[in-house]
Amino acid sequence: MESRMQPLELGASGLEDFPALLRHHGLLSPAWQTGPAEPPKDFKPTESTTILAFKFADGVLVAGDRRATSGNTVVYDRADKVLEIDRQSIMAIAGVPATAWEMARVLEHSFQFFRRTQLQEMSVDGKVRALSKLLRDNFGFALQGIGVVVPIFATFDAKASPAARLYFYDAMGAQFEATDFAATGSGSPAVRGILYYENTWGKKPLQKLDTDDAVVVALRALDTASEADTATGGIDRHAKIFPIMKMVSASGIRTLPEEKIAELFRKRVA
Amino acid sequence: MIEEPYRWVEAIANRREYIETQLGSGSPIVALSYAGGILLLTVGRQKLFEIYDRIALGAIGHPGDIERLRMAAIELASTEGFTRSAADVSLRRLAYYSLSPVMKNAFEQIYGAPFLARLLFVEIGSSPEDDLFLGLEYDGAISGSQPKEPNSRFAVLGGTKASAEQMEQFLRQEHRDGEELSVAFQLALDAWTLGHSGVSDTGEIPPREQLRELRKQRLEDGVIEAAVLDRGINSAVRYHALTATDLAKLSAS
Repeated sequence: MESRMQPLELGASGLEDFPALLRHHGLLSPAWQTGPAEPPKDFKPTESTTILAFKFADGVLVAGDRRATSGNTVVYDRADKVLEIDRQSIMAIAGVPATAWEMARVLEHSFQFFRRTQLQEMSVDGKVRALSKLLRDNFGFALQGIGVVVPIFATFDAKASPAARLYFYDAMGAQFEATDFAATGSGSPAVRGILYYENTWGKKPLQKLDTDDAVVVALRALDTASEADTATGGIDRHAKIFPIMKMVSASGIRTLPEEKIAELFRKRVA
Repeated sequence: MIEEPYRWVEAIANRREYIETQLGSGSPIVALSYAGGILLLTVGRQKLFEIYDRIALGAIGHPGDIERLRMAAIELASTEGFTRSAADVSLRRLAYYSLSPVMKNAFEQIYGAPFLARLLFVEIGSSPEDDLFLGLEYDGAISGSQPKEPNSRFAVLGGTKASAEQMEQFLRQEHRDGEELSVAFQLALDAWTLGHSGVSDTGEIPPREQLRELRKQRLEDGVIEAAVLDRGINSAVRYHALTATDLAKLSAS
């Protein structure tokens, strides 16, 4: 690849946003809107599942198992599907990692590009919409069945009410704001069942749980999902691989240390 | 078209004089290292900007021109950072390869408009030895470097050459490596005051007490703007602007 730092053509791009800048330089695939085209019969894209998020006492907890599969092969058992986009936002992905990680990268740069050029943070609505646009641009791939991404987006804006915000999307880019919880990926039916149950008849509604209790609920939910869904890694008891968990709250994003998760797992889940 | 070479030289000289006059009243900008990173400071309307994770910009000049150059720098750095990685974004290349030729070109095309802007870029490295200060003139000239001598990690931007020189002279005497942010802040404000006050004919630097007195007067109708590139921060983005609360705390110290 030739150097991107070229001599300038000032004001050539006339950009409205970062993806537009990338397209101007031919660095982002244009939005394919071709009709359905079958991928080769034996082509099985790498996919990852399952992710969940719910609001708890401090903010939003986002968790994801670590497995990536292609057909019925396990490709990777340490995939990170819960990604920090900026100081206030987390994106979690179910679907094809090739597309999803690139989307996360574009998104991360978009938010920073906006802050740097416009000299203010992008609003929560703006961020939610930016992800929606990326999904829409990817719709051609989604139709072909090789690039489906179904993300969850969680953010915390201390000035807004409610401060903790949680969104999930469909593959076409429609955004849905969740009041309490969201889950996507192949293991999500079981997860949704558990979260609904916990929220309605559990000891406390999810939004009242403290950090430890929230982690335990997330661990139990992912463990349950992996019970029936082979594409979900759940918790690997032999190799000691635990789900990735991040929480966003007034103090920013915190990644739960693995030891902490392991300890709670030993005490209250295993 | 001007056919004769000496006419061109004359036109360039006139243009230089015109730009210098335009920039003359600009409020100075001071950048200096402290224990945790690099502090940038000025007084007046917003002139300190985040360019990329580790790169900050301070600018004097016409807001429109500053904006164009700032946007160009952000676009270049962002595209590079996206296609490769944040570690591959290099201020040296940004200044030498991308910005300087454009500014030189605009300056020498005497029927077009030059950039009425003087820029100071600062890039924070993984250690103080890697910190980079680069000044970029309206004619594309680049000054500054990676200071290696002790107590020399600072750079200034002045409306006039004399103002910049006096600030530099002052900082050469007063600046010490590894000071606390509060100490660096006070020193930067003193340097700014000196640069903003006009140079005494003798070129002598007034004592600190006198500077403080002067500073009080100067700050009566100006707002301090400051930002830091923080080496120790637990985030890829090293730049952050100091808030009004931060500034109040530092001013009180």
